[in-house]
Amino acid sequence: MMQAYLENKRDASNIGTFVTFLTLGFAVLGVVIAYLVAFGWMPLGERANTLRSDINIVETIVVIASLIYALCCARTGIGLLQREKSSLRWSQWMLFITIMIGAAILLSVIIPVGLKFALLLGQDIDLRAIINNDPGVSDLAPLALSVGETLIGISLFLIALLSLLTLMVFIIPPLDVLRRIDGISMIVSPPRRLIMAILVVMAVGVICILIAGAFVVPLYPGMTTIRAADNHRLLAGLLFFLPGLLGYRFVRQVEEESDELRRAIALTPGKYIRSELAKSPSAGAIIGFIAIFMSFTMATDLFLEPSSVASFLSNVATKGIIAIGVTYLMISGEFDLSVGSILGVTALSFMNFMTHGAPVFGVMEPIPAALLAIFVAFILGAINGVLLITTRIPSFIVTLGTMLAFRAITLVAIAGGRILRYSDHHDALPVIGVSNLVFMALVVIGLGIVGFTAYRVLPVWYRQAARAWSIRENNGDFGTTTAIVRTGIFLLTLLVIIIAVVWLVAVFSYHSSAGGGQIVEIGYFGLFNGRVQSIGSEGDFFHMSIPRNANVRLAIVWWFIFVAIFHVILTNTSFGNSIFATGGNEGAARAQGVNVDRVKLQNFAIVAILTGIAAIYETARNPGVDPLKGEGWELEVIAMTVIGGALLTGGYGSVVGSLLGALIFGMLQTGLVLVGIESRLFAGTIGAIIIAAVVLNTLVRGAQRN
Amino acid sequence: MEYKQQNDNALVDMIDIHKYFGSVQVLRGVDFHVDRQEIVGLLGDNGAGKSTLIKVLTGFHSLTRGQIYFDGEAVDIESPHDARELGIETVHQDLALVPLMSIARNFWLGQEPTYSVGPFKFLDKQKMASESIGALADVGIHIRNSEETVGTMSGGERQSIAIGRAVYFGKKLLILDEPTSALSVGETQKVLDYTIAAKEKGMSVIFITHNIRHVYEVADRFTIIERGHKLGDFYKSEVTETEVADMIVTGQIPERLRLYDEAVGEES
Ligand SMILES: Nc1ncnc2c1ncn2[C@@H]1O[C@H](COP(=O)(O)OP(=O)(O)OP(=O)(O)O)[C@@H](O)[C@H]1O
Ligand SMILES: [Mg+2]
Repeated sequence: MMQAYLENKRDASNIGTFVTFLTLGFAVLGVVIAYLVAFGWMPLGERANTLRSDINIVETIVVIASLIYALCCARTGIGLLQREKSSLRWSQWMLFITIMIGAAILLSVIIPVGLKFALLLGQDIDLRAIINNDPGVSDLAPLALSVGETLIGISLFLIALLSLLTLMVFIIPPLDVLRRIDGISMIVSPPRRLIMAILVVMAVGVICILIAGAFVVPLYPGMTTIRAADNHRLLAGLLFFLPGLLGYRFVRQVEEESDELRRAIALTPGKYIRSELAKSPSAGAIIGFIAIFMSFTMATDLFLEPSSVASFLSNVATKGIIAIGVTYLMISGEFDLSVGSILGVTALSFMNFMTHGAPVFGVMEPIPAALLAIFVAFILGAINGVLLITTRIPSFIVTLGTMLAFRAITLVAIAGGRILRYSDHHDALPVIGVSNLVFMALVVIGLGIVGFTAYRVLPVWYRQAARAWSIRENNGDFGTTTAIVRTGIFLLTLLVIIIAVVWLVAVFSYHSSAGGGQIVEIGYFGLFNGRVQSIGSEGDFFHMSIPRNANVRLAIVWWFIFVAIFHVILTNTSFGNSIFATGGNEGAARAQGVNVDRVKLQNFAIVAILTGIAAIYETARNPGVDPLKGEGWELEVIAMTVIGGALLTGGYGSVVGSLLGALIFGMLQTGLVLVGIESRLFAGTIGAIIIAAVVLNTLVRGAQRN
Repeated sequence: MEYKQQNDNALVDMIDIHKYFGSVQVLRGVDFHVDRQEIVGLLGDNGAGKSTLIKVLTGFHSLTRGQIYFDGEAVDIESPHDARELGIETVHQDLALVPLMSIARNFWLGQEPTYSVGPFKFLDKQKMASESIGALADVGIHIRNSEETVGTMSGGERQSIAIGRAVYFGKKLLILDEPTSALSVGETQKVLDYTIAAKEKGMSVIFITHNIRHVYEVADRFTIIERGHKLGDFYKSEVTETEVADMIVTGQIPERLRLYDEAVGEES
């Protein structure tokens, strides 16, 4: 069909024309949506509940994105009109993106509604209270729901959600996907009957959405009176989703037609995404992260507030740092239950060295005290490691023992119920005078890093762009867009590098000038884990201040730096390779000359040192140590690691996964509070989500391996 | 106890090797040697101690008693790393590859190529990919993507990868512990061919297998182990294939060979 269309045959089927005009139609729709969003028809972001005409940041982004989308659709449609074969792949991708946009918009209605109903279930709650808590709707008429109405709402929600998910999972890849992509077949075909059942559910769901979208029945009681905006969104979602799905199916049929066309669209979006995910141990975590992030973003307008984001990042940053080490250890097939206690002992040592003094050194300044405390942590980690490799007892038992033993240290050292506080021993928090020379030195280091990056990256990007242009020349006009994109990437990188250099030079000149020449006093603790109030100093270019209510901690920055470093070590060094081998098959690793005992010892030391660093950050944030500091952290950190895709049995996992795991954990902690889940249900909810995450990871891994 | 090398020109000379696992005496005074450019078939019933003997040689197990000479010098092989340094490469029966790791990473495990940036060393992934694909192609396994995980491959493919790795890295001695157990007829023939090719390149080979026909085709000499003891060394010219098979099954040296063996023993 598409074949005939592209060859401009007389009997060219209508389907080719349909796809072409559908794509052009989406271009128009993109422009219309951009226009409507810009003028308040479909409010987004912080105040999705109210129709307003001034535009916020989320809306700005959406407007820009829709215009880009419209442009791409237009380009594709015109390409199809001119019978360009390369446009076929583009149309495929554009339709795929269209489906995703539609699904996202539909979910943005369905998820909040569902969460609201879930909240009602089983709780004797006055709906009025909930609605009143919802900013923006407080002035609307109160609404009472009967149990029956609630149930209808919940079932509608579930059906709609399920149908959308099935549409996305089962329709986008054709049902017979048992194809091998580079030798790995991705999805195991589910039993037929299940597919039939799902299709039925799906059909019902689509009908429900259609009815609701057509304003005949409100999706949930009182919907039309509460949120007119929701109806607009439902309509927009349906306009993208259903025609997009139809068009995508048509384009995919091409695959059966001819070899040439099949090659033109060989890398379908579904295959591409799955093969990308298959490469990553954190595939499950990526999916979970996106799902949870979207859910909360849609469920509550407060979630993307800078203060919420900052608070969840600050809360998990230190745990995230420990999770990096725990991931290393878990990949090498071991386990550490003692990190919470190591954290406690390190924090205690750090505080004690600054208040009562260390044996040889006496009362210490913060930085030496921190270093010595981290050394203490290292010793504790080494004890774990040595016990493990000498006794060959499973690490679960060894670290269970040391967890209790190390905890005894803090319990004995700090009398019951008391807290060792910095302020009880010193009048003021410690400060350090930082000379402008330090800033200048930092700038020089920064310039070095930027320069090195530029040196490594720019030539590569440049060569790729040049190659894309030459390919285009040799192939008629095929590949114009790729060439433009590659050039764009090169220019953008160049721009970023230029901006960074200009900024660094500006900072340098500020600090070397007379005005910036004085010594700046910085709180020591601030240096470790201070609150970041602005980026750059007052006088600098690109000075950016952070909202007052946002508690952004320096530990977040440290965390990301550690993730980057440890990710590179794990994936790009021999040591990383030995870690995977040790956990994956200890005997085989040893037979190839890997010193597995040393690898394990090193990993225990790494966990302990990272825990020590985390302890310093925690203590700097709140300069007081209680005997139970860090209790329970070990399990939370293991949860993050496991959510991040690491296998408890070893040999598999990633540092980026641990980052995502920690972020998921943090989002849940903050998000569940924001959507109003009762604190008593909190632990249970997290538990359920951990299990779900691990099941997801297992499924993804199973699909990867077959 | 003082040991003395017995076979002066041998590449490997293992003397009076004892290996006990706790109270289990797996090897009880085995003498074993491999000459230069020689293919030795190491034979014996299940559980005879063949794998244990070569694991002692490759440093995987520590010796309980005995002495190993390599290239004419007394050596303490304390870890597989030491053995690889000496130029010994092994395809273990049970310890071949890490299933969750990619082909390239398995191939280079333990001696990854790196490039340096200042004091830091990073994996040279390009070399890892291209050379592993090339080296495996040389031994007849054609893989498309060296990033594929080994766990997704068939048993035979995995065995071929382990063999390809040993052939690629082997310098002086190649040890193949039942390398052909999972291979098709064609693949097996290839392994036998590399074995001979390795010998022609100047290496020695220890070949362990239960398939006497295979080993009879390539080996120069057979060493038969019987429940922790050595039954004897037999040059191919002295014995027939059936006699070798009988010895493995019965654990007895036939009358004819017994005399011969003693005579050889006196000569040396
Ligand atoms: N780590 C160990 N601990 C205790 N006993 C062991 C160990 N390794 C091997 N053995 C014992 O040593 C004996 C010899 O084992 P080995 O693997 O060397 O036999 P093999 O000759 O290679 O047999 P096969 O032909 O079946 O591979 C067996 O009885 C086995 O149970
Ligand atoms: Mg064996």
